[in-house]
Amino acid sequence: MSSETQKILTTDGIPLEVSLKKAERKNKLKAFILVAPLLLFLIITYIFPIGDMLIRSVDDREVTNMLPKTFKAMESWDGQELPSEEVFEAFYFDMKLLIEERREGKLSTQMNFTKNGFKSILKKLRREMKKFDEGNYKEQIMAVHKRWADVEYWRAIKARSPSFTNQKYLKGIDMYTNEKGEIVSVPEDRQIHRILWFRTLEVAFFVTVFCFLMAYPIAHLLATLPMKYSNLLMICVLLPFWTSLLVRTASWMILLQQNGIINDFFVWIGLVSEDNRIEMMFNKTGTYVAMTQILLPFMVLPLYSVMKTISPSLMRAGKSLGGTPFVAFWKVYFPLTIPGIGAGCLLVFILAIGYYITPALVGGASGTLISNQIAFHMKSTLDWSFASAMGLMLLSGVLVIYWLYNKVVGIDNIKLG
Amino acid sequence: MKKLSKLLLAISFAVSMATSAFAVTVVSWGGAYTESQKQGYGDPTAKALGIDINWVDYSGGLSEIKAQKEAGAITWDIIDVFAMDTITGCDEGLFVEFDFDKDFPPAPDGTPASKDFFTSMPSKCAVGNILYSWNYAYNTEANKGTPKTIKDFFNTKKFPGKRGIYTGALTNLEIALAADGIKPGKGGANIYEALETEKGVERAMNKIKELCTDPKGGCVFWSAGAQPAELLVSGEVVMSTGWNGRLFAAEMEEGAPIRQVWDGQGLDYEYFVLVKGGPNEAEAKKALAMMTNTEMLAGSAKYIAYAPWRKSSLDVIAKGEPWYKDGKTEMLSQMPTAPANTKNYFLVDPIYWADNGTELGEKWEAMKAGL
Repeated sequence: MSSETQKILTTDGIPLEVSLKKAERKNKLKAFILVAPLLLFLIITYIFPIGDMLIRSVDDREVTNMLPKTFKAMESWDGQELPSEEVFEAFYFDMKLLIEERREGKLSTQMNFTKNGFKSILKKLRREMKKFDEGNYKEQIMAVHKRWADVEYWRAIKARSPSFTNQKYLKGIDMYTNEKGEIVSVPEDRQIHRILWFRTLEVAFFVTVFCFLMAYPIAHLLATLPMKYSNLLMICVLLPFWTSLLVRTASWMILLQQNGIINDFFVWIGLVSEDNRIEMMFNKTGTYVAMTQILLPFMVLPLYSVMKTISPSLMRAGKSLGGTPFVAFWKVYFPLTIPGIGAGCLLVFILAIGYYITPALVGGASGTLISNQIAFHMKSTLDWSFASAMGLMLLSGVLVIYWLYNKVVGIDNIKLG
Repeated sequence: MKKLSKLLLAISFAVSMATSAFAVTVVSWGGAYTESQKQGYGDPTAKALGIDINWVDYSGGLSEIKAQKEAGAITWDIIDVFAMDTITGCDEGLFVEFDFDKDFPPAPDGTPASKDFFTSMPSKCAVGNILYSWNYAYNTEANKGTPKTIKDFFNTKKFPGKRGIYTGALTNLEIALAADGIKPGKGGANIYEALETEKGVERAMNKIKELCTDPKGGCVFWSAGAQPAELLVSGEVVMSTGWNGRLFAAEMEEGAPIRQVWDGQGLDYEYFVLVKGGPNEAEAKKALAMMTNTEMLAGSAKYIAYAPWRKSSLDVIAKGEPWYKDGKTEMLSQMPTAPANTKNYFLVDPIYWADNGTELGEKWEAMKAGL
């Protein structure tokens, strides 16, 4: 038999396969149109901003385009001693054009990110440049301010010549490329980011542990109590969850401060003396307490939803087979709750790692986290490319944790309800 | 179809409402300060020009206006900013550059605006608003004895207890050096000379670190203007640096048990800037010119103890004493510029901070992180 005769035809003579595919395609298109708004939403609100951040964190074309002649003249400069007259001359003409286009202010902001002290010397140069004679620009520029005769500042300019840079990422871990091209750490008195990264991890880890220790019994109680009581308890868990974050943080401030309710109570029952009130705020303690309370529902809810599905007869079976209550719990109940634990811990940890407002309010100096530093660069220094770089580092940190979790526990094991 | 056209009508109505009301949006620091601005010159200007002025609070910095500009949706017209920010914002092209004597009215006696203001502006985009002070105050009930000098602020032996200090390095390094024995000199020249060197910065950082790690001392960092008075009243700290107008308001209006100390104060300026391409740039420019004229600037001093920038405004206050809104408090002696308060002071140097702010900020944060 030939294959021709094998093909099944529909009534109008088109092979069934083709006809089916056509119908399927239609359905697929319909399905796609249904999800298209969501997809579009994701692209606009998630993928696009992250892409923008990525570009912002490495893009240095703005400066590259501002000083084209200078960078060209600098190509042959080895960076050891002051550059030649040729570079100074190129710099003079670049500046002249920038001043005409009123873009020199932007240059000074950008250069000040690389090296402090550029703002004032560029301003001074702008004022003095009007009086410059033709030729011998090296001497004239160097006479404007002693920093122009300092090779460090010319190295800083050269450092900005590539269109794309990894300097912001290096800065995020307290490193930089020195004049020999080696990647080295910044001086100790300026190392801040490493401390903050470790502190952020530490705080997120302990908050997760505290949340777990507190949420497990609560969730168990919720899952096993009769409906009448468990509903009331559930409201107690959810009520703070529905309250604004700021309100909750502010309430903790009232409770924890030195003349606050908790300290007053301790003094009243004689636990501490009037002069030795405990410091519970503006340090790590405050951050731990407030963050644990705020993130607790994120641990309780997944645990509860998993525990709810565990039949009480399983524990009874374990006990009737000869296990002590603890063994029955450990061998039967606990393993069944692991998907809930995984979901809760991952959720709390990821939320904690990017926490911002609570540490800012109750954390003081020793309780601030990396996100506070990101906010500092967003708000105060306006170095958005550095803030972007740190934001992406934080994001990739979260992805690494997610990946690790998947390797160790398996992501299919997660259950949110 | 009918429904749709109705909706469109509603939207266009809402849009026209929002744009045609000639509402000028002024952004400032909130609390007692914004209140003084609103009552002192905001409302009178709005009435005279027949426009609406909306007041919006923010906590400083240029990130919001930069974000608005990048998104192409500027909603702010006038912003009340630090000197440093007028320089950065002007450099970034966010603000309108002024033709000073043309854009701002002269004093009543005919002195051009540029001569009537105390000093020249740090950038072409700035117009002066008030002079304020970074001084400190103490809780009169929590301290035995009376702190009198900036050295007392760092003296934890004589005055044990925690101190409230500003969250950034700004002015903290200066007072640390002033307390460490450097005489500020004319306008604080000696202090800034010392801070130009690494040694000087280190010396200042160490002085602060010493205070914050002292078991008898310790630091609480404040960032919002209302915090120092709150911290003092709640007993969280025994002394705190702060902005003198806020401290005055807490003392006068809430009867807080606090008193200000003027020794080693940092005199600083506050500015208005006009946003380039704001929603109502033309109206805003008119409003700004009126708000910063002699009478109006003097008006705000009725409500808060900040000094107006114009010399001629001080004359208006002197003639009108007692100027405070309660009708019995003399204002000139409460101002940071009063002779009794400027025996030992420094002028906060915006150029120094524009140059070194980032690096000092990093060092400062590193110091804080190590506490």
